Amino acid sequence: MTIRLNNIKPSYMSESEISESDIYLQESVLFEKGRKYLIRANSGHGKSSLLNIIYGSNANFDGNINYDGSSNHNTFSFRESKISYVFQDLKLFPDLTIFENIQLKNGLTNNKSVEEIDHLIDQVLLSHKRDNLVRNLSLGQKQRVAIIRALCQPFEFLLMDEPFSHLDEKNCGIISNIVSQELEKQNASLIMTSLGDSSYFDYDKILNL
Amino acid sequence: MLFKLQKKTLIISQIIGYAFTLLIGATIILVTSQFYFDIKPLLSQETDLFKTKAVVVSKNITVFKSINKEKIYFTDEEIKELENQPFIKNISKFNNASFKIKAYTKESEKVPGFYTDLFFESIPQKYLDVETEEWDWDPSLDFIPIIIPENYLKLYNFGFAQSQGLPVLSKNTISLIEFNIKVSGNNQIKRYRSKIVGFSNKVNSILVPEDFLLWANKEFGRGDKNKTSRVLIEFKNPSDKAILKYFNENNYSISKDKLEFSKLVFFFKLALLFVFFIALVIIILSISFIIISLNLIIQKNKELILNLYNIGYNHNRIAKFYQIFISSTTVLLIIIAIFISNFTRNYYIEKIVDLLDFTSKSNYILISGMSLIVILIFAYNLFIINYIKKIVQPREEKISKL
Repeated sequence: MTIRLNNIKPSYMSESEISESDIYLQESVLFEKGRKYLIRANSGHGKSSLLNIIYGSNANFDGNINYDGSSNHNTFSFRESKISYVFQDLKLFPDLTIFENIQLKNGLTNNKSVEEIDHLIDQVLLSHKRDNLVRNLSLGQKQRVAIIRALCQPFEFLLMDEPFSHLDEKNCGIISNIVSQELEKQNASLIMTSLGDSSYFDYDKILNL
Repeated sequence: MLFKLQKKTLIISQIIGYAFTLLIGATIILVTSQFYFDIKPLLSQETDLFKTKAVVVSKNITVFKSINKEKIYFTDEEIKELENQPFIKNISKFNNASFKIKAYTKESEKVPGFYTDLFFESIPQKYLDVETEEWDWDPSLDFIPIIIPENYLKLYNFGFAQSQGLPVLSKNTISLIEFNIKVSGNNQIKRYRSKIVGFSNKVNSILVPEDFLLWANKEFGRGDKNKTSRVLIEFKNPSDKAILKYFNENNYSISKDKLEFSKLVFFFKLALLFVFFIALVIIILSISFIIISLNLIIQKNKELILNLYNIGYNHNRIAKFYQIFISSTTVLLIIIAIFISNFTRNYYIEKIVDLLDFTSKSNYILISGMSLIVILIFAYNLFIINYIKKIVQPREEKISKL
């Protein structure tokens, strides 16, 4: 799948707020399959807005998006098998355990077996907390759960909204390894936002928002 | 997993409140409607005084009228006026015999001899409260069936027989006794065999089949115009207040007890309708209760629903838990209500059978309960799916504009 943005701009942002953007109000911005994109911007410049627009959960924008050359898509259907998203606010369910949170997402497609999920939890050093409620985890632990949850579905694009904001170097390294493997396995693209530079992946393109 | 998550969103106290009110409302509604079906024939049996809602009306006899006998008869104008009253559905006249009638037996071992003058009247058969197969008059048989008031038999058994030392007679015994009738007039005499074939509780007269009387009046009658002293009146609604007022004003005599009973039945039906209505209100309240509760649950968990939607659960899958939960609760409760209603019905039927001649009617509880289930489940499912769709929909609508 390819994603093309034409003259995109969140309706609620003024043109002065988005001047000198590589994406907003650009005639054509193309995201291709199997590539890694970093989108840099300071806070308040519409990073989450952009990912939400691509994901289809924010319809409040001007311009056009084409998925595979067509603008007439039901983006909701992408959520199961085309686009996966690590939300900035994580969107975890505090009353479920780590395993249950992941299984809730995995259950939609049964993409991963219980053993594979357990292996992922183990890799991000959370196996001792597997059956703890998410409400009792630290923000960094929650972030790790949200990231491995996003990997438990087939996808062609992985959107990550400041995924490492509460993680230490060691965990960032572990996570970027797991994500890279999964991207490679699924031959998928990554669109990641960050406040500044990021060296966790080999980006094909870095865009300033 | 999804169900586990959504189970935590339920507010148990509200579900119990819904269950309780629905159970009460559904049970009352099922019992009252079935009760109405069951006792309807009983009510109509008792109220339909002559199978229809009719009463015998005559003029009050006063000292003045006893001197001038003509005054006890209804004139054609009076009958016409009665016919024009809005509360009257139908009027039938009593036909009188205008010839001489004598009844007699020859003395035998079984029956003591007697000889008496008689009179005959007739009314249309549909107003008779006696069912007998022998009522038809066959001109070739020389036999006349007779119906007498049940009071006559009581008067004989408990009064006359007691004081005169005569044997008491049952209805069956009387029906076996044949006697002779001699009718005369127009210089003709004819003898018939006769038998009492039934006893009336409603008509205080000696009745013969109407077609016999009409024929005999022509054959033996004095030829004068048939005078009407009593009429049968069928009312549209016996509890109409105008009836008693009209009859009092015109000094007509009417059997008030019978009208009072009809009124009682009317109020009984009204009370039943009232209970039914209250039950309906209870059900409507319980439905509103659960709708408000669901509304609250969904609003309170809006974020959870949106999160589910965000990770890929569509509104159908999100609604499924609430649909299954409310549907199964409703089905379970109405099935319990059906059981309770059946139990209650068996109980009251047992009581009624002890007191009255009652044959069990069809049981509509199951079918009514099932209909209630279908209606409620349809309404709930429609509500839940639409409401959850509304929560997540605004986004979808805009997306489709892309």
